[in-house]
Amino acid sequence: MTALLERPAAVAPRLRRDRRRWAWGLAALAAVGWSVAGALDGVNPAGAAQVGAFAAAALSPAVDGAFLGVLATAALVTVAYAVLGTALAVLLGALGAGAAARTTWGRRRLGRLGRLATRGVLAVPRGLHEAVWGLLLVTVLGLDPWVGVLAIGLPYGAVTATVFGALLDEVPRGPYEALRAAGAGRVAAALYGLLPRAAGGLLSYACYRLECAVRSAVVLGLVGAGGLGYQLSLSFSSLRWPQVWSAVYALALLCLAADVAGRAVRRRLAAPRRRAGVLSRDRVLTAAVLGTLAAGAWSWWFLALSPASLVSARAREQVGVVLRAAWPPSADADLLRSVASAAVGTVQTSVLAIALASVGAVVVMGVAARPAGRCPPGRRLAGVLVRLALLLLRAVPAPVWALVLLFVLLPGVLPGAVALGVYTLGVLGRLAGEAVEEADAGPRAALGALGAHPVAGWLYGVAPVVAGPVLAYALHRWEVTVRDTLLVGLLGAGGLGALLASELATFDWPAVATVLAATVVLTLAVDLVGDRARRALR
Amino acid sequence: MTVRLGTATVLDGVDLTVGAGERVALAGASGAGKSTLLGVVNGTVPPSAGSVRVLGADPAALRGAALRRLRARVGTVHQHLELAGALRVVHEVNAGRLGSWPALRAAWSLVRPQGVADVVAALAQVGLADRVFDRTDALSGGQRQRVAVARVLVQQPDLVLADEPASALDPVLTERVLGLLAGPAGRGGALLAALHDPALALRHCDRVVGLAAGRVVLDAPAAALTVADLAGLYGTPA
Ligand SMILES: Nc1ncnc2c1ncn2[C@@H]1O[C@H](COP(=O)(O)OP(=O)(O)OP(=O)(O)O)[C@@H](O)[C@H]1O
Ligand SMILES: [Mg+2]
Repeated sequence: MTALLERPAAVAPRLRRDRRRWAWGLAALAAVGWSVAGALDGVNPAGAAQVGAFAAAALSPAVDGAFLGVLATAALVTVAYAVLGTALAVLLGALGAGAAARTTWGRRRLGRLGRLATRGVLAVPRGLHEAVWGLLLVTVLGLDPWVGVLAIGLPYGAVTATVFGALLDEVPRGPYEALRAAGAGRVAAALYGLLPRAAGGLLSYACYRLECAVRSAVVLGLVGAGGLGYQLSLSFSSLRWPQVWSAVYALALLCLAADVAGRAVRRRLAAPRRRAGVLSRDRVLTAAVLGTLAAGAWSWWFLALSPASLVSARAREQVGVVLRAAWPPSADADLLRSVASAAVGTVQTSVLAIALASVGAVVVMGVAARPAGRCPPGRRLAGVLVRLALLLLRAVPAPVWALVLLFVLLPGVLPGAVALGVYTLGVLGRLAGEAVEEADAGPRAALGALGAHPVAGWLYGVAPVVAGPVLAYALHRWEVTVRDTLLVGLLGAGGLGALLASELATFDWPAVATVLAATVVLTLAVDLVGDRARRALR
Repeated sequence: MTVRLGTATVLDGVDLTVGAGERVALAGASGAGKSTLLGVVNGTVPPSAGSVRVLGADPAALRGAALRRLRARVGTVHQHLELAGALRVVHEVNAGRLGSWPALRAAWSLVRPQGVADVVAALAQVGLADRVFDRTDALSGGQRQRVAVARVLVQQPDLVLADEPASALDPVLTERVLGLLAGPAGRGGALLAALHDPALALRHCDRVVGLAAGRVVLDAPAAALTVADLAGLYGTPA
């Protein structure tokens, strides 16, 4: 240095670490350590043989005509649930959006109260997983197809209402105000001044919900609502591995198809194709919308839904019985103690899952990103393989992974964490890869030009830029994972889900009410923590 | 040496040698190919035809550690700076030493900054010592440009490539920065700088190379040129 630098530094400020970020970082590390400690109980060596048999069947799935026919019918049921559930969610969402949007309430104090109240009401259906709704609805409605539709439609409706409300609030309000000033009523002004601007976003979100609904419909089957998931659990409990694999492949294909089609439509929505100067609609989009409407009508017929069974005397009576029995929720000390320990297990599972997924995503994201410029064919091939693997990981819903893992791992934190971690890696890996693709390649190239080791180039040129978005994604997925942990628990992996399943099995309604309340509080608390952490990162 | 990017031929048959101790200014209208030429020298742009020799070695024949050692001797101030932005200034400046640091030391430095005294000294030379621990994306355009210069100062390269290194700086800083970048040339290295300001080029360099549409159209000692001669390169009446 000395040759170049004649003058010593005038002032040397001290390095001040960002306390808030360090606190969050250390807290996260502590949470992971605590979760690992909770997961240290048991591997089940006796199950290893079963896993061997199970894995061996992967290459020889059942392909006899009869079983494939059954699977095809089951797939149709799943699709019908997804379509009608989404339709209901969009309907509820549109109604609820009016109640959640700032536009409706205005800026006065009363308005703020109204908005808060709506959000509070929406938080309850949102805090319960679709599968929990499914279980509750089965006890009220019996094995009616409405169970599947409502179990998807109600929680999705609540989320959709929140998102639709936010989308409407984001639209520039000039045209709306102008129409209002010209004497138009609120509804008319919203229809002409707000809706056209928001339509793309609303449609795109509805489409995303339909993709998710396919996954949810599969999962609902696992808890007994019929469809592909149900077939899977039947084959599973009778240990017919080739059939299990056929079902897994079928549902992976279904989820993949939903994923690919949904992304294509959404991309098209973001950049619709119009011929210049001619008032014409985008053919693909028109076909997608008409096709979905037709699918809705077909689903209604196929599932033989009848509104009468919803309001039948038996259903009303059941609702009454359950609600009366469930109030007041049980405050039994033993129950509260097991709720607390189950809640701890749930949090540990979700933390461990997200830690596994995040580490995995960080490891693969460099390869998963499509390289911008020229690159050797080996690198390109590795990228394709990694992206394919991630696709497969997220095509199989987490509960299926959990069922498999429960052979080798004793029920508890570990099987749920690994199952959810594997699935979430599929999602997070893709998101992280896309973040890398979006990052500017310049800084890294500049570091390469001054001789930096490739790892160092990555650390100084890419990591700082993608760290923010990737952490934000991970936090968001953590919130999702907590909900999914409940579901995996329902199937026996432990935590609040397992507790709920056992209380439901004995029809102990006051206890069920307590567990449900704990569930909602837990998901709300996790959302809150996630939100705070994201804000500290910004 | 020729460079084709896409369908365009950006550099066309450029043949240029820069000797030890020389300070060479690259002049030419916007889009003439100055940045591309600098990119060819530092290895970020591969030539489509012809060859490049840097500091007596052929980069195309080198691989791995040997290539890294050569590249560590070439320091660049990029036109668009190419700083990550989401890092503290101390790390952006330290990045100049990545050519000689093993990966592990580079990683550890992000946790516990290494060689802070040298970084502060380099920053002091460009008047930024008080911002060592600030985030780079909180700096102004000119301040960021000085961070990029400080990076080259801690790198201590033999060959300095500078692409409009003072485009966002005030007159006093401009003089200082060009003086600093010419340092290695004074010790037997070299400076190759793309400069738009003819007066600046003549004052700080020994030789001026003019580019137009990817070809060398002028190559003369600075002493033999006037500001008006250079103005011709930009298509304005002299
Ligand atoms: N990646 C690329 N692909 C295709 N063409 C490119 C690319 N990069 C640069 N060019 C073209 O090469 C030509 C020279 O670009 P270059 O950046 O070298 O010009 P320059 O002399 O540095 O201009 P300026 O003074 O504006 O920085 C331009 O016409 C530009 O459009
Ligand atoms: Mg340039």
